[in-house]
Amino acid sequence: MNSKTILAGAAVLAAGALALTGCGGGSGDSGDGDVTLTFWHNSTTGDGKAYWEETAAAFEEKTGVKVEIQSIQNEEMDGKLQTALNAGDAPDVFMARGGGKLADIVKAGQAMDISSGISPEAKKAVGAALSAFEVDGKNYGMPVAILPSGIYYSEDQFTEAGVADTPGTIDELVAVDQQLRDAGLVPFAVGAKDAWPAAHWYYNFALRACSQDALNKAAETRSFDDECWLTAGENLQAFLETKPFNEGFLTTPAQGSAGSSAGLLANHQVAMELMGAWNPGVIADLTPDKKPLPDLKWFPFPEVPGGAGAPGAMMGGVDGYACWVNAPKECVDFLNFMVEKANQEAYAEAFKTLPASTEAQSVVTDPALQDILAAYNDAPYVSVWLDTLYGQNIGNALNVAVVDMFAGKGTPQDIVDAVNAAAAKS
Amino acid sequence: MASVRELADTEVDVTGSHTPAGDGAAPPPAGPARTPGRRRRNWGIRLELLILLGPALVVFLAFVILPVILAAYYGFFSWSGYGPPTDFVGLRNYITILTDPDFHEALGHNFFIVVFSLVLQGPLALGLALLLNRKLRFQSAIRVLIFVPYVISEVVVGLGWSLMLQTTGAVNGLLEKIGLGFLRADWLADPSVAIWTLMLIITWKYVGFAVILFLAGLQGIPEELSEAAAIDGASYWQIQRHIVLPLMGPTIRIWAFLSIIGSLQLFDLVWIIWGQYVASTAGTSTMATYMVANGRNAGSFGYGSAVAVVMFLISLVIALLYQRYILRRDTAGAITGGVK
Repeated sequence: MNSKTILAGAAVLAAGALALTGCGGGSGDSGDGDVTLTFWHNSTTGDGKAYWEETAAAFEEKTGVKVEIQSIQNEEMDGKLQTALNAGDAPDVFMARGGGKLADIVKAGQAMDISSGISPEAKKAVGAALSAFEVDGKNYGMPVAILPSGIYYSEDQFTEAGVADTPGTIDELVAVDQQLRDAGLVPFAVGAKDAWPAAHWYYNFALRACSQDALNKAAETRSFDDECWLTAGENLQAFLETKPFNEGFLTTPAQGSAGSSAGLLANHQVAMELMGAWNPGVIADLTPDKKPLPDLKWFPFPEVPGGAGAPGAMMGGVDGYACWVNAPKECVDFLNFMVEKANQEAYAEAFKTLPASTEAQSVVTDPALQDILAAYNDAPYVSVWLDTLYGQNIGNALNVAVVDMFAGKGTPQDIVDAVNAAAAKS
Repeated sequence: MASVRELADTEVDVTGSHTPAGDGAAPPPAGPARTPGRRRRNWGIRLELLILLGPALVVFLAFVILPVILAAYYGFFSWSGYGPPTDFVGLRNYITILTDPDFHEALGHNFFIVVFSLVLQGPLALGLALLLNRKLRFQSAIRVLIFVPYVISEVVVGLGWSLMLQTTGAVNGLLEKIGLGFLRADWLADPSVAIWTLMLIITWKYVGFAVILFLAGLQGIPEELSEAAAIDGASYWQIQRHIVLPLMGPTIRIWAFLSIIGSLQLFDLVWIIWGQYVASTAGTSTMATYMVANGRNAGSFGYGSAVAVVMFLISLVIALLYQRYILRRDTAGAITGGVK
């Protein structure tokens, strides 16, 4: 009796200890036979989600490698990924956007060097976009979409307000805002609740105010020493004083509901939104009939006279995918598979955006996207989103400081100070 | 409803169990263990303790105590969370926290919430409890209605209110429709309004908990006392003021303690309604939202750990002071300090 209870007790304790220490065996890196890739992407709705399911199924059919998909809400992605990487139980294939965020992951030894694994066909197809995932001359990711930033507008609303030409300079933009106001319309929506959509305004003003060198230098020093960062804030503040945004923009999210900034544009509640090239797809999900917005058009961020940025330069991101350092080698095959022409064409149609593969760009028929593509191909250079470029720590502080300014709580100097202070909190 | 009763009963126990014991110390159940002849049985008890307590203890140590110790350790490093921390920075994180105006603001909001939770919820809950303690039509229906917000998950409450309180949302729409359009406000984003909006939501959500506690406390007061006072000619209000309220002391003090600790650690409502970024802008950030924004979201796990430690110490100091100066009279065994 007694020895039995002792045994039972020991068994209970041992089981408890096992449950506490056992972290699971890691992913299916099993030499031969069944290989499973776990895969995180950020499409939670409609066609985008379906696209990844189909692509994963096609890959499994072709190679026998099973892909386990997890779709993660975009705003949750950074935090979840970081936690998973910390825990040593990360997805084999995860979304990456280059810049400082990817560099941090590489520095921590968590991303796989795929330089030698990229197929020549893939290299040729995506071309220059690959450089977004380069860290110290090695490649850590495969681009699937190019997402330059610009202003989307409703052509109907412009016509209604009597706006004939899209504005080329910031002063012209302010004049257009006034015309729209006079016609009883709201010029802009911005999803400041998510911070980054508001911060994109600052990035674009910085793109106009700062030279390419200044942008890149800040990526190294991770501090805003150049005078142009202050100028960008001052220009933004002057623009904010014209009150161009929707009522209650501070609690407006960027995507997902009719009350989000994309939803407001989709339902003709506002005339314009500054956003990346994923916007046509996001908007299409939020129109009353769930179809692309027929009068959606695009123009580049206006020039701001007197700045050091080259005219025509663009702010924007490259969405892509990276492999976890401990992922099975088939991970790279999956990345190569993603940028095959047919898959990229399907991607462009599912997300209504610009595919990274130049071979697939011919399927882009949306007039707004065609304008973006033209501007992109003419741009002297394209800077990565500043929060991506400067890493999570500084990016976060920068975004919050910009939101403060939108709320009237901060000055241009506060933005610079917040960035420089963020380093202390790392 | 059954769980509500249970909860109420245990709370009565917590506040009232020491009343008859005088000095409050329970007699040690050590009798048999000291008899040498019963050593065998002694081992039996120990084994039983090990088996019954062991698993819970292991879980507690692994998921509560160990993380606290680890957080204290990580707080001395600049650590982005990958691999073991190596960049020792001493007290730098703590100095940064204590000199960061954003943290001061968050701390200020926490204290604002502590004070106004007590000031708003206390009298309101007491009034409701007194009301519900009388014979009333629809009594249980009203009790349930008051308690429902407390049971609904914070996320649901947060999402619901954040949608209704948008500038173009239901609340402003309703005000407009009933001719109170001048009261329209930017409930969530206007920094001068937002914290009061938060207080209203908190009051609405948590007042039910206080009411249930107080009701339980009221039911623990013998009716004879009120009857005797009534015979002596005391009015209803005199009875409440001079008999019921003092006897409710222990319950109120325990509720206040729970409320203070809850206010200091407030996170979910703010996070859901104001999101991860706008809370500090709208003036509703708390220490906990500051910790997640500057720790996890910024990828600065060392710094976040240091914030957690600071939060823990602040809560600990307040809890200890409260125990020492306010709860002691209850734990020391007096019914109230006032009636002696």
